[in-house]
Amino acid sequence: MEQTLAALLSKAHSELSLLKSRVEFEAAKARFVGPNGELTALMKQMGAVPKEQRPAMGRLINEAKARLQTELEGALARIGEAEITAQLGPAIDPTLPSPDRGPGTYHPLTQVREEMCRILRKVGFAVADGPEVETEYTCFDALNTPADHPARDAQDTFYFPKQARFGNVSKHTPGERYLLRTHTSSVQIRTMLKGPPPIRIVSPGRVYRRDATDATHSANFHQLECLYVDRNVTVKDLKALLDYIFASLLGKDTKTRFRPHYFGYTEPSFEVDLSARHLPKVNKEWIEIGGCGMVDPIVFDGVGYDSKVWTGYAFGMGLERLAMLLFGIDDIRYFYQNDLRFLRQFA
Amino acid sequence: MKISRSWLQSYVDLASFPDDEISRAITFLGFEVEAVLHTGAPRLDSVFVGEVLTREKHPNADKLSVCSVDVGPQHGTKTIVCGAQNYKVGDRVPVALPGAVLPGNFEIKQSKIRGQSSDGMMCSGRELGVGEDHAGLLILTDRPAVGLPINEVLPSADTVFDIEVTPNRPDCLSHLGIARELAAFFKRELCYPEIRFTANSVSAGPVESELLHSVRVESQQDCPLYTAYSIAGVKIGPSPGWMQDRLRAIGLRPINNVVDVGNYVLHEYGQPVHTFDAANLRGRQIVVRPAGAGEAMTTLDGKERSMDPSMLVIADAERSVAVAGIMGGMDSGISDGTVDLVLEVAIFRRQSVRATSRRLGLSSDASYRYERGVDPHSLQEAAHRTLDLILDTAGGKVVGKLHRVGSDVPWQREILLHPEFVNERLGFPVPFEEMKASLESLELSITREETVFETNAVQWTVSIPSWRDDLDRPIDLVEEILRLHGTDRIPSAVVTSPGLLAEDDPLVIFNRKATEYLVGHDFHECVNYTLRSRKEQEDAGGAVEDLALSNPFVEDQSHLRASLIGGLLESLKLNQARGVVVSRLAEIGRTFLKEGGQLWECATVGFLVAEPVGERNWKSREFDDFYSIKHHLAAVASFAGIDLGRQPLTSVTSPESGWQPGHACVAGLLAHGWTASFGLLGLSAVKSLGIEGKVYAGVLAVLPEKISADTKRRRYKPLSIHPPALRDLAVVVDDSTASDEVRKALAKVAREAVGNAFQLESLQVFDVYKGQGVPEGKKSLAFSLVFRADGRTLTDDEVNGAFQKLQDRLAAIPGYVLRK
Repeated sequence: MEQTLAALLSKAHSELSLLKSRVEFEAAKARFVGPNGELTALMKQMGAVPKEQRPAMGRLINEAKARLQTELEGALARIGEAEITAQLGPAIDPTLPSPDRGPGTYHPLTQVREEMCRILRKVGFAVADGPEVETEYTCFDALNTPADHPARDAQDTFYFPKQARFGNVSKHTPGERYLLRTHTSSVQIRTMLKGPPPIRIVSPGRVYRRDATDATHSANFHQLECLYVDRNVTVKDLKALLDYIFASLLGKDTKTRFRPHYFGYTEPSFEVDLSARHLPKVNKEWIEIGGCGMVDPIVFDGVGYDSKVWTGYAFGMGLERLAMLLFGIDDIRYFYQNDLRFLRQFA
Repeated sequence: MKISRSWLQSYVDLASFPDDEISRAITFLGFEVEAVLHTGAPRLDSVFVGEVLTREKHPNADKLSVCSVDVGPQHGTKTIVCGAQNYKVGDRVPVALPGAVLPGNFEIKQSKIRGQSSDGMMCSGRELGVGEDHAGLLILTDRPAVGLPINEVLPSADTVFDIEVTPNRPDCLSHLGIARELAAFFKRELCYPEIRFTANSVSAGPVESELLHSVRVESQQDCPLYTAYSIAGVKIGPSPGWMQDRLRAIGLRPINNVVDVGNYVLHEYGQPVHTFDAANLRGRQIVVRPAGAGEAMTTLDGKERSMDPSMLVIADAERSVAVAGIMGGMDSGISDGTVDLVLEVAIFRRQSVRATSRRLGLSSDASYRYERGVDPHSLQEAAHRTLDLILDTAGGKVVGKLHRVGSDVPWQREILLHPEFVNERLGFPVPFEEMKASLESLELSITREETVFETNAVQWTVSIPSWRDDLDRPIDLVEEILRLHGTDRIPSAVVTSPGLLAEDDPLVIFNRKATEYLVGHDFHECVNYTLRSRKEQEDAGGAVEDLALSNPFVEDQSHLRASLIGGLLESLKLNQARGVVVSRLAEIGRTFLKEGGQLWECATVGFLVAEPVGERNWKSREFDDFYSIKHHLAAVASFAGIDLGRQPLTSVTSPESGWQPGHACVAGLLAHGWTASFGLLGLSAVKSLGIEGKVYAGVLAVLPEKISADTKRRRYKPLSIHPPALRDLAVVVDDSTASDEVRKALAKVAREAVGNAFQLESLQVFDVYKGQGVPEGKKSLAFSLVFRADGRTLTDDEVNGAFQKLQDRLAAIPGYVLRK
């Protein structure tokens, strides 16, 4: 009996070590410890063993059973490990590059626009939008630009033929011509015509000038304008906004200054200069960055706001110019070529 | 516009201010300084006019000469070694003697050059700081007296500010105008030129002898005021040196005394004046009239101009002699032999001058000022100043009638200003006394000060001078006070922002979401021009005639874009041509689509996925297909509130669309607010553009007004925690039947079969099969159905019952065969 058990264990040891799969394992397990298994058969012979030998035999069988159980568990663990190895495949080389696409990129103009909008949203400006095809009224008349102003000339502004019709660009007077807006100030007018004050909006968008394209001019470019209308808005408030914008954008040590200027739709009007450290390719102390002013009462009267009650300010700037300053880009045309080597630099 | 510093000095004493302080003052008064130029010679002590008496070759140097130079009785004759070659014996040249310090701190000393002693240096223009000419000595061709200090010969040093005057300030297009501003800024007195001429100075004479018999203005509207003066017996010659210096400093070429006076007064007062040779005014009359159709005249610049009746001319009895307010005619102007003059000082309507100037492509200092507005109330003063200067420099006398046609409305303007209003608008206090001083310094005099009874507020009556037509309302005076206070002194403050219940425009939110989605899916966001070529719009099926601009600037930017694909393909091509591997490009912008006979400006999202031609990778990845494009388009559409899954999609069949028939589709209708197309771009069309590889694309155009804010607050629905029951089935249909049609039919019969007992939770195509076991021309679509009930576990029996019922109903649909 003892020998039989030893032989059985030895056989089990060699057979179990060859097992490759769980199916084989289950079959082998049945062969040894199943109802018809070899060990089970031996255990059944216990009845025939003389009573005085039973404890010794019982101990032997239990020992063998325990060892067989260990063998089985070991075999099962080996199979499990082999399965995992097969599932994993060979080890990776962590230094190989990913074959997947590189990440997408936001256009630098979008990045600058969104950064400005984030800064302005923090102080309560909501982002407004309006059509790029505009009317003479919204783009010029409502902004106090006289009919003979050079900016309105066909030399400087793109017009559409008299018969052109745009379904979703509303006209103020039937006779006026459609044009491509020359500034985003038209959005101010549309916003004011839509609802009562107070208003605090920022309107970024594409604008058009009839200009030759070169390193600093482009047939279309982007602007961003702020409009704030409320009671008792002052020049000091306007300056505070500009200081806040550029300190947010370029750091606390950034300074702005106002120079008197002229725009038809603001009074007083200013040009805004900026002085900041760490701007690439800038070798002047002050750089012109935009225009601003207090909304002219004529503009309020035109949109039906009582200019005795309401006051406000407006600020506008070119986004390409800002992006060029921030990133040190020296040619506006790069923004419109979409060379991936350019776009990826701002990821 | 150029402003000479020394000229300004005639009206306001700025001697104690360095150039950069004056430049800064001009800037903060509101005029941009574009450049600061230095002209003329600086102060040069010990530099004199000398004459070269002899010139010998230097014994020890081939390229040097040894000259004896006469530097006048005081200094005698000097021996000077010189390297220049451009002079000869007898020439007069500047000579710097030992002790002279030339620009650049170059001190002249007695020296020895190659063994030959030299008592000074003969100078070039550049060495004296009067120009860039370094080719040789400055030869003084006017032959000034030997021994004269050179500063008496050369134009004196001056600083010229090139400034830009804003269109609201035509009064500042002159030296007096700028002087007035600077006097106010620096709190200095402004001295106007002394005017000596009065109407009494005119020598009366018999009418027959008058130089000008009549002035007739036919177009009162375009010429509201015309004055003419006759001056007899002038002598044409050079104008005085000081006048020439000033004109040269601001970039004008001196011509003769009479012409120079005209230019001088224009730049002094901003009032254009014009002089005619009286002998050339036929019929001794002036007629201000519209040009005849095709009437021609040669203007002073020597060009022949053809005119039309929209243009105003000055004519004599027979022909036009000047384009009104722009330029005189060649054969009526002043010549060396002119003896009698007619001086014109007039006002022409801005719009008329501007239109004529544009049409003729001809502008001048005069037209520039007329276009911006000339003060009619300063006209007489400028006229009298001109007469003074002509009489001073050219002699002669004013004779005959003073012609004056038209009139100026008497000027009177007052603004009522509450000084407290100024501080309210500024947001910081400026003392009333400072305000008063600022207004007065700009000649805005406060004629009355009172306290308004009802409000107890101080009120000033401010009188506005005629040249400040731009000042009309209290707010305009706020700007004047602030300018003089200093816009660089606005105090800093924090932004105060009362909350407003406003959200970003829904269109802005849509654009932002679409951009974020596409960039998040590895697209590169592009920006292309909105204006594109006619051909590109034709190729894309755009409404070419409607998209056209009436005045394009360049041919390839003549039309609005009807699609974003054209621009994206251009970007793709550019990258491919530059050897940059590119696959995913996107743009978010406006396009213009035609519907119902008119164009609509659409918010548009476009993207393309190109085969990454030229890409090499150690491990390959599968390239996208139609269905990945559909996925992106559906995502973008969802941001506009469009559920693409519920929309009919129509396969593209026409190759003219730019899409590959059978591999692309269209959805939506602009009449319903949106339209989309997506799929594979036409292979041959793409190839013909010079682009390699397959290109998939998608474009969604939405009317901005149809994008509404998604303000709906979602409500939670309880979830069933009981297990689902799964069933699969396959149905064989015609190959041409759209899968969505079958899915919808199946969903309908499934819901009917289930009734209210439990729910069909989901229904999905999981296999599309053609081939063995499926007849030719048919396909098998396999669907998996998921059923679930709230509050209980479904039994096999009830699910089987419903499943059988729905199969029966599905099989009953014509053309549908269940696959066993």
